Amino acid sequence: MRRRTKIQLFLLDNLVWILLLLFFIYNTFATDSFFTMRNQVNILFQSSLMGMLVLAQGIVMMVGELDLSIDATLAFAPGITILVTSSMVEPSPFLAILMTLMIGGLIGLVNGIFIAKLRANSFLFTLSTQIIMRGLVLFLIPFSISGLLPAYAFLGRGRVGGIFPVAAVAFVVIFLIFEFLFSKTIFGRKFLLTGGNRKASYISGINTSRVIIMAFVIAGLLAAVAGLIAAGRQNAVSNSMGTNMVMMAFAGAILGGGSFEGGMGKPIGMLGGALLLGMIDNALTLKGVNVNLVSAAKGGLIFIAIMLDHFRVKLNAYILYKENLKNLIETAEDSAGSVAS
Amino acid sequence: MVEPQEVTRGQRVLELHHITKLYSGTVALDNVELAVERGEVHGIIGKNGAGKSTLVGIISGIIPPSRGEIIINGKPVHSLTPAVAKKHSISIITQEPQVIEESTVTENLFMPKYLGSRDFINWRFLDQKAKEILDRVGFPVETYLKIRDLSISEKQLLLVIKACYVEEADIIIMDEVSASLNQKDQRILYRIIDERIKAGKTVIFISHHTKELLEVCDRVSVIRDGHSVGCYDTAALDMKSLASLIVGETHYDELVLEDKSREIGEETIFELRDFTAYGRFEDINLKLRKGEIVGIAGLRGSGRTELFKAIAGIDTHEKGELYLHGVEKSYNSPEKASADGVMYLAEERENEGLVNIASIKKNLTINILSKVSRREVIYDRLENPKADELIKTMNIKAFSREQEINQLSGGNKQKVLVGKILAKAPRVCLLDEATRGVDIEAKESILNTINEEMRKTSCILISSPGVDDLIKICDRIMVLYKGRIIDEFARPEFNEEKIYRVMQGELLKSGEVK
Repeated sequence: MRRRTKIQLFLLDNLVWILLLLFFIYNTFATDSFFTMRNQVNILFQSSLMGMLVLAQGIVMMVGELDLSIDATLAFAPGITILVTSSMVEPSPFLAILMTLMIGGLIGLVNGIFIAKLRANSFLFTLSTQIIMRGLVLFLIPFSISGLLPAYAFLGRGRVGGIFPVAAVAFVVIFLIFEFLFSKTIFGRKFLLTGGNRKASYISGINTSRVIIMAFVIAGLLAAVAGLIAAGRQNAVSNSMGTNMVMMAFAGAILGGGSFEGGMGKPIGMLGGALLLGMIDNALTLKGVNVNLVSAAKGGLIFIAIMLDHFRVKLNAYILYKENLKNLIETAEDSAGSVAS
Repeated sequence: MVEPQEVTRGQRVLELHHITKLYSGTVALDNVELAVERGEVHGIIGKNGAGKSTLVGIISGIIPPSRGEIIINGKPVHSLTPAVAKKHSISIITQEPQVIEESTVTENLFMPKYLGSRDFINWRFLDQKAKEILDRVGFPVETYLKIRDLSISEKQLLLVIKACYVEEADIIIMDEVSASLNQKDQRILYRIIDERIKAGKTVIFISHHTKELLEVCDRVSVIRDGHSVGCYDTAALDMKSLASLIVGETHYDELVLEDKSREIGEETIFELRDFTAYGRFEDINLKLRKGEIVGIAGLRGSGRTELFKAIAGIDTHEKGELYLHGVEKSYNSPEKASADGVMYLAEERENEGLVNIASIKKNLTINILSKVSRREVIYDRLENPKADELIKTMNIKAFSREQEINQLSGGNKQKVLVGKILAKAPRVCLLDEATRGVDIEAKESILNTINEEMRKTSCILISSPGVDDLIKICDRIMVLYKGRIIDEFARPEFNEEKIYRVMQGELLKSGEVK
């Protein structure tokens, strides 16, 4: 492959980072107090919550399914934990964190088993679990329960060295771990293959049901982590945490290279998608744009994401077609040249 | 050899001249000629892959030809689409019944144009009409039944009735319709055809079965490797002469790959005893020795895919045992079968074979991920050379191992499919139509790889769209007919024509299979 084609393909694969860079440069000049250390850290911190959900959704989309329940898990897992631990005399914060994660994983397991083994439709099934969990949270938790154990709130509130938010560090580290898993390990490769063609992967001896269940479990775990961040940030568990975030998670995952067809996307791209969402939020707020208008702007972003999904495939095919054509012409010219000489 | 004749019976209703269809890399049809006359049953026959389905697609307007002329009722038609075909009163009944499962018999018969409807549908009237039609052909089925409660045979017959009596088409194309009919319904079909011909309609009848074709048709057009062989009066043909027209004269000595290098071990690696899944295949007994290539010859629907899938644990079987190295095994998932080195090459390349949006590399290494990794981590320095080696062995034409499967031609895709099995070096390869839908060059290359590389490590069970491919590389050929092995040929005594006739169930000893 020639160098130019390689660069073109690389840029296309990382389109979201280019968008992010352009947006960043624009705001550096156009938005006051955007380009400050404090604000940049703030963007990272603000994106960490959505980032977990984007990654969760992205991984489920990678295996060709979708999960509507993650934003309800975000409230459900810490909510149930807080109800259980508040009745204890001396609750252990580590047990509480473990319990939150386990609830998240368990919900993912239930979703996964019904969808992979019983072939339930993932849209309908996770819609039902979402409504069930949100309903229970609204019923069980009166508006909000405040006063968390310090260690439980550490992920959301803690600062490394008193300045840098723990959530922002965890956010980046988790993405890097998943990037490694999905680009370099057998475990991750199986997700991409299963999403790309489930039947062919099954025939090739991959336990595709297990892969799909794993995807939902990971999504549940990440949603629980998001729950820890959300609860810690406000030092309380409220019953409305995460409401309507799942749609934005789709937008982030698609911006980051995911597709409803399955088998596409990289965690590192989804990191870009999550950051772009966070940066738009931040920049528009700094500019003093009305909250509802910010929401409309993000709606526009979903639109762009869908167009991008379509456009990217076409452009990729076009670049490779050009490359192929050039190679064919070169071979033809070579053989013509050798005949002439 | 029978000479093609010029028959001038009625007026020509459908003519095809110089029809050529090119697919990327292959010529499916090359200057094919066809002339169908009013009031005849015109048969079309050819081997698998001869271009029958493409030809039918062109007549019914589904596939546009690359070149050539289509004349309907004496007038040239420039672009034949399904809508235009309908306007010329051409109806097609496909192999797989196209019905709406959740609707009733009456609804399906009159879909999409309900008779006598302007503002609302008069169901009573339609129901009465449907009953009349069904009574007329003597097809006892209740009009209020939902289609999903009908057998496949009844569905298919219903579509025939729809084309003949509801649409009242002038030209009725029946694409292997009788394959899914039971004997009783077949008799009804023949009666309908007779009646339609008397009414001055024309029937184009496509079938694999020479016997049926000779009984039903007035004339047959034979196509072979995308060329017209000719059009013959069935009165002048018998099954043997028709079979030789279909198969053609083959020069075996040219085709057989290096005969001397065949080294087959003594030890039996793989054995099936009374392997049965009722309704799909029954009492299959076979043994494979190391390095042996055994062909399974059978028509579509003979049970070969079902057999392969059951061996590999993709489908279930009900009775019988499977032995690997003398140890009894039973697989309930392909995961277990492939762990034991029993690999299935999918007949359906696009749906079941390849991950189309992944790269060539990722597809080739799908079965050997543990070999290109250390402690679960995949390393480029292990994976890339392996992929390059396979691309070279399989002669896959691509400019990079990172290229997506999507962008390859059919032949190259098929090479990737074979390559990923080869990479694993399994003990038993189940190659279901390993040369399906590929051009000559790719076919030769794939057969060579199977013969030279794959047999070094594995024993091979292979099926193929044509007997000729099996003859080239197999040590033995077993003929599967209606789910049973009815005959076996060993290498020196291969005879394409004879095998072809056995596949048709023609040379059966009486009472062997119902």
